[in-house]
Amino acid sequence: MLAFVAFCVLPVLCGSMAASTHIERSKQTKFCLSCHIMEPYGKSLYVDDPSYIPAAHFQNHRVPPDEACYTCHTDYGLYGGFRAKLGGLRHIYIQYFGTPPRPEDIQLYKPYNNRECLHCHAGARSFESNAVHTAIRDQLTSNEMSCISSGCHDTIHNVKEQSKVKFWTPGQ
Amino acid sequence: MKEIQIEQALRISGVLLILGIVVEIISLLWEKPLAFLLFVGVGGALTFVGIVLYLYSLLPPAVESSSQPRPKNS
Repeated sequence: MLAFVAFCVLPVLCGSMAASTHIERSKQTKFCLSCHIMEPYGKSLYVDDPSYIPAAHFQNHRVPPDEACYTCHTDYGLYGGFRAKLGGLRHIYIQYFGTPPRPEDIQLYKPYNNRECLHCHAGARSFESNAVHTAIRDQLTSNEMSCISSGCHDTIHNVKEQSKVKFWTPGQ
Repeated sequence: MKEIQIEQALRISGVLLILGIVVEIISLLWEKPLAFLLFVGVGGALTFVGIVLYLYSLLPPAVESSSQPRPKNS
């Protein structure tokens, strides 16, 4: 019995705890930005321009700053977190065994789902009291019209034009 | 003979498990995406092989019917 605990139960327990720590750690902003290819995206969080959606969310703590990437780039479906982890493994594979694209050429695998925006914004006063949002509510919910590519909130990370913008320094 | 084999399997299993757990601890100290690959690919694999080897050593020995001498009819 003691041998079974030492040879089976304990290693599985240690592995499970370590896996849990790794998974929690992978949600952190600094973890995502530890890849060089992501550096411009991390920099874009400090752009001094409120029309930059990620920067506005990050700087005003509309998303937890420690988990900024994960909050917006994990879909809020049942298996969202799991899919995000698989996507992350794919990124690691491309980074080390494939040909990683240039940072400015990185694109989402599929169009950004409005559900991720509405998860927080739907029901919020600032969102609901906007007449445009109310008028196109159904189109937003059904993804017929995208929040970020319809001429409304279309400035996202925009790393191509990073050399032309000013940056905010925390504490200023 | 069989006991020696079991003992050897347990020893190898123990070494693999310790190595696996050490690799898992090292992977926790390293905050890079590659650490996760180290955790799964090396630590997880060593631990898995260690556990399988231990469980395999618990299996009862196979009956060697063909090598048994037939009883003579007198």
